[in-house]
This record gives sequence, structure tokens and C-alpha cells, in this order.
Amino acid sequence: MTADGPRPETGAPIPGTGNAALYPQPGNAPDGEWLRVHPASPFVRGWVALAAIGFFFGRDVFERSLQGRPVFDDELAGRAPWLLVGGATVLLVSVLGFILTWYFTKYQVSGGYVRVNSGFLFRQQRQARLDRVQAIDIVQPLLARIFGLAELRFEVADAGESAVRLAYLKIDDARQLRATILARAAGVTTGPDRPGEPAPEAPEYQVLSVPPSRLVGSLLLSEQSLFVLVGGIASVVLSAVTDNQAFYFYLIPAVLGLAASYWGLFNKGYNFTAAISPDGIRLRYGLLDTQAQTLPPGRIQAVKISQPPLWRPLGWYRIQVNVAGYGIVENAGEGSARTTLLPVGTLGDVMSMLALVLPDPGTPEPAVVFAAGLNGLDSDGGFITTPPRARWLAPLGWRRNGFTATDTALLLRSGRWWRQLVVVPHQRTQSMALHQGPLARRFRVADLVLHTTAGPVVPRLTQAGTGAALALFDEQSARARLARKRQTTEQWLRQVVPAGSEIPHGSPQEGGQHG
Amino acid sequence: MHTEAIDPPGIIWQRVSPKYVTVRVVQWAVGNLLTVLVLALPLFLVLMDVWAWPPLWLAVTVPSVALVLAIWRLVLIPRQVRAIGYAERDDDLLIRTGIFFQRTMAVPYGRMQYVDIGVGPVERGLGLCTLKLHTASPGTNAHIPGLPAAEGARLREQLAARGEARLAGL
Repeated sequence: MTADGPRPETGAPIPGTGNAALYPQPGNAPDGEWLRVHPASPFVRGWVALAAIGFFFGRDVFERSLQGRPVFDDELAGRAPWLLVGGATVLLVSVLGFILTWYFTKYQVSGGYVRVNSGFLFRQQRQARLDRVQAIDIVQPLLARIFGLAELRFEVADAGESAVRLAYLKIDDARQLRATILARAAGVTTGPDRPGEPAPEAPEYQVLSVPPSRLVGSLLLSEQSLFVLVGGIASVVLSAVTDNQAFYFYLIPAVLGLAASYWGLFNKGYNFTAAISPDGIRLRYGLLDTQAQTLPPGRIQAVKISQPPLWRPLGWYRIQVNVAGYGIVENAGEGSARTTLLPVGTLGDVMSMLALVLPDPGTPEPAVVFAAGLNGLDSDGGFITTPPRARWLAPLGWRRNGFTATDTALLLRSGRWWRQLVVVPHQRTQSMALHQGPLARRFRVADLVLHTTAGPVVPRLTQAGTGAALALFDEQSARARLARKRQTTEQWLRQVVPAGSEIPHGSPQEGGQHG
Repeated sequence: MHTEAIDPPGIIWQRVSPKYVTVRVVQWAVGNLLTVLVLALPLFLVLMDVWAWPPLWLAVTVPSVALVLAIWRLVLIPRQVRAIGYAERDDDLLIRTGIFFQRTMAVPYGRMQYVDIGVGPVERGLGLCTLKLHTASPGTNAHIPGLPAAEGARLREQLAARGEARLAGL
């Protein structure tokens, strides 16, 4: 499964095409050529620094004019040349730095790799294998959006640091590059009769979208709002009891923080749409900063569908996923948005998203099994729950805590009020462990933990009967082993039927010839 | 060694070297004796009439409770070391630990990303090493301490070879 197999004409970088100093279009550039990002990108990225310089040198003048003092008095006149020279120097150095950074940042898509060189004092070369791509994001912060630019993020399987980032490209070029990378990663051949022709963008079909009204509703009814309500009542009661009016002043920072948090969630979740294309699931969202994520098939390691208590009357659910490379979030707002597959959706939405994530549910009646996982109790849908002898360990949850396995995935159900269903495809299980403490031993129950890549989903089966847990431990090892044997290549078009088309049941991810 | 409740039946566990008890005792001494000494400091000061505040019963109770806990941990160490076991199955490595809080873990060979061998100062003196397995999941906290150095090297080669043969993608 050599990734550069399909395109023999691209073997060596073409040395003669020397004018890379100009700015060739990524779309129709010959393969293997070194390209640069858009010249304006350092300014878009570094506008904060420029603004800081402006602020530092402009503040003095501004304050003087505010205080009604003359802007130019004798003292300032003496210093003015130095100030001007200093400001100009700092500005010049930073602009020069920007230009040098831009000049020395080059990228190349060639063979089976994408390579990025950057830095002029400390050179850095980074390369990533295309068939190891876990996700591709196109991110547009507000300022970049105004200029029609976009950042391309390319995640490979390594928790956290190793993302390849190209900031910024023209939005059309970014889309074109994404299509090229995904096509190469999928193992699509462009055909020898059309060398150098850009890969066509894969067609996509919209699956669902979240209306803004539902997003607002979900935010108002979230767990956070519950705490806000409790906190608000508590502070009103406190101020009434202690007769202290100044008390409210202390709430101002809390209110500001809350508003920022709600705004962040709204900004990130606005206009959420999910679509399916042969190269994976496409998620788009964002009000001011927009983001388009592409998750190739089979890259999702674990799925969690949860429902806070206040959402239950409305029948809403949230879906979060673990994707290798997204890792643990760096900052909460961005990270939680990236690992959210569906911020809020109805049962129908959940089922259609699950159909995308798990094209072959591995059971003849998926609707029954997954609905039982979401809302069921006891042995609905074939779930095996905590035995009655252990009900005092989980007086509320024992009828919910349970598991069932289909041919392709393990379903873990838990929570009576905070309902939760975790789905782990068998071929994504890394390792697993049985845990048993002294109390659990007395009740003859045990926990089973499945290890998956870093992310918001932590699959754990709690308080299963010892016998059931042991049986599952053995069966799951066998299932994971079988599933691993079946999955042989990372180039998904050679391996799976595109998820959009109808898959005849019972013929899962088999077939396909790989070298 | 009898088979515990959550161990898969029919497994013959390889045990780690009994010399590993020494390593654990040294670790125990560094942690626990220091804690007890620090907690006993007020007692000395009270006895020397330097401090007036903590009443004598409190100054006695706190370090003695700490001492009892520390001795309890010391007594458990040999049993804990005996409870560590590993078994190479056809497709995965099983590791078990713990007496009160038991854990049995299965790490498939095809999922191992790399295998580490670490040797601490006390372990080096006793000719022991610690083997660590890494998968793509940070949750796989799989390590086998107290292996004789030769056995550790053999196991590492064995695991690397088996992992190579069965390597799967993510």
C-alpha cells in the first residue's frame, strides 16, 4: 500500500520549475513543487502585534488629547524624534520579520507526503503521511474571512502537537488543496491521461442542519444554565437575608464571564450543518469565525451521545467524538467545538449521524438497539445491565448501566438522569482493562474500561456482573482482533464502499485489492 | 497463587522478581517515613515546650495514625508484588495488578506503538527493569515493574516482533 503508487509521474520533484518565488496557484501547480502561503497571511496572523505597537505609541498622544493638554508641548517635542525613530524601528523589524517568515514558509504535496518548511533562524521541516490523515479543517477567523483567506489544518494521528498548519491560503486554493490531499489519501488515481490535473472536489449531500432557535434553546436549557439559575437564586436570597446591596457588584465579573461563555458557544455552534461526501463527514459551523471540518471515514474512534436532564422533554441529544489528532483540547471553546459532531439534535438527527459514523451497524434492527441505548431501561434492545444484587451501589442507574455488542460496535449505556450512550467500533479498540475494588468484589460486579485516543469520550462500563464482564472481556478481545484483521489499508476508497451509497447488508468493510 | 475473581480463567501468570519488594520498600521509605517525621515535628516541639497550641493528644494522634497507615502499606507490599502478573497470549499481553483494587488489562500486540524499558537507581543495583507499553491511547497505562533485566530484554524483543507482525492502523 504505497501511497505514491497511483501517480507514477510524480515520483521526483521537478527541479527545473524555478520560479517558485512568484506565487503559483496550488490548484494547477505541477506536483511536487514548493509553494508559499498567501503574502498577506503574516499580517492577518500578526495584526494583534501591529495593533499593540500602534497602541503603545499612540496611547500617549491619545491620553494627552483626552486630558485636554496640548498634544505637542515642549517636553514631547524634545522626545518626538526618538519616539518616531523607535516606533519606526519596531514597526520595520516586525514587518521585516513577517516578510521573512512568509518567505521561508513553503509547503509541498508530493508522493505520499505533505511537507512544510518554516522558520528562518530555527528551520523546521515537518512532513506528514497523507494516508495517515485523521481530519482536515479549514478555519476562517473573522479577519481572514474579510480578506477571503483560510487556514488549512491537517491532523495526523498523534495526540496534540503534530498538526500541520498552512495559514493562510486563498479560500478557493484551500478547498482545492483539501480535495487534493483527501483524494491522494483515499488512493484515488487521477489517471495517466490527465497528469497534473487538480483532483475534483468530492460531491457532498447535506444530511442535517441545526436551526438557530434550537441552538439558543439548547444553550438556555444546558447544565450551565441550571447552575446560573441556582447561583442567581442563592445570591438573591443572600442579599435579602444580609441586607447587603453592594453584594451585586461582586456578581458583575461572573455575569461577564457567563456572557462570554454563552457567546462563545453560540458563535461556534451557529449554522451547524453536517454533510456526507465520499471523502468523509463534513461539518460546517460558526457565526463570525467559520470552520469546515472533514473527517474521513473510519477516523472516529469513539462516539458519545448524551442528554442533560433539561433536554429530555424536548427530545434533544448531543454527540461528541474522539478523533486521533484532535487530542485533549488546548482551549476549551475551540476544542469542544471540534470534537462535537452534533451540538443539539433530535432523535432522527442522532440516527442519521450514527448512520454516517457507523455505516454498518452490525445488527438487523439498528433503530431498536440504538433507541434502547438512548432511552431504554433493563434489557430493552438486548442490553445486559447491572445485576439486581448490586442495586445499592447505583440505586438510580442500575437499570440503565449496561452494554450490548453488535457485529461492528460495542454500545455502553449509562445514567438515569444524565443519559449517555457510548459507541466504540470494534476495530478502534486500543486496549482494555477490568477493574474491581473491594466493594465491587463484595457485590460480585466489575468495571470494564476501553482505552481509546484522547478526547471527550471515556468508554467505561460500570458495575457489570463479574461473569458478564469477564465474558465481555474475552469476547471483545476476539472481536477487536477480527475487526483489525479485516481492516488492512488506510486508503479508504480502496477498502470501504462510500458511505453515501446503499450498502448491501452483511458485506461490511471487505474486498478491495491493495498492493 | 490462587486465581482472582476477575482474572480470565486458565491463565498461567508469569510473576515478577521477588527482589522487586526491595525497590518498593525503598520507595515506601522515601515517601512514608518522611511524612511521618514531618507530622511528628509538632509533637517534639510540644514536648520541648516550644509550642503551646496543639494539645498533646492531637500532637500524638496525627503522627501515630500516619505511622499505622505507613506500616499497613509496608505490610501489603510483598502481597502487592506477588499480585503483579503478566501472560503472553496469542494476540495480546495480559497484565494484572492489585489486591484490593484489582486491574486486569489486555493490550493487543497489533496496537502497541512502542515499548520502553526504564531502569531506576535501586532497580539497577538489583538487576531489575520496568517495561512500559504505549498504544495510541493515553489511557493504556500498562507497565510491568520488577522484571529481571534479561527477561525484560527478551520480552521487549518478543513484543516488538509480535507487534510488527500484527501491526494495525489506528
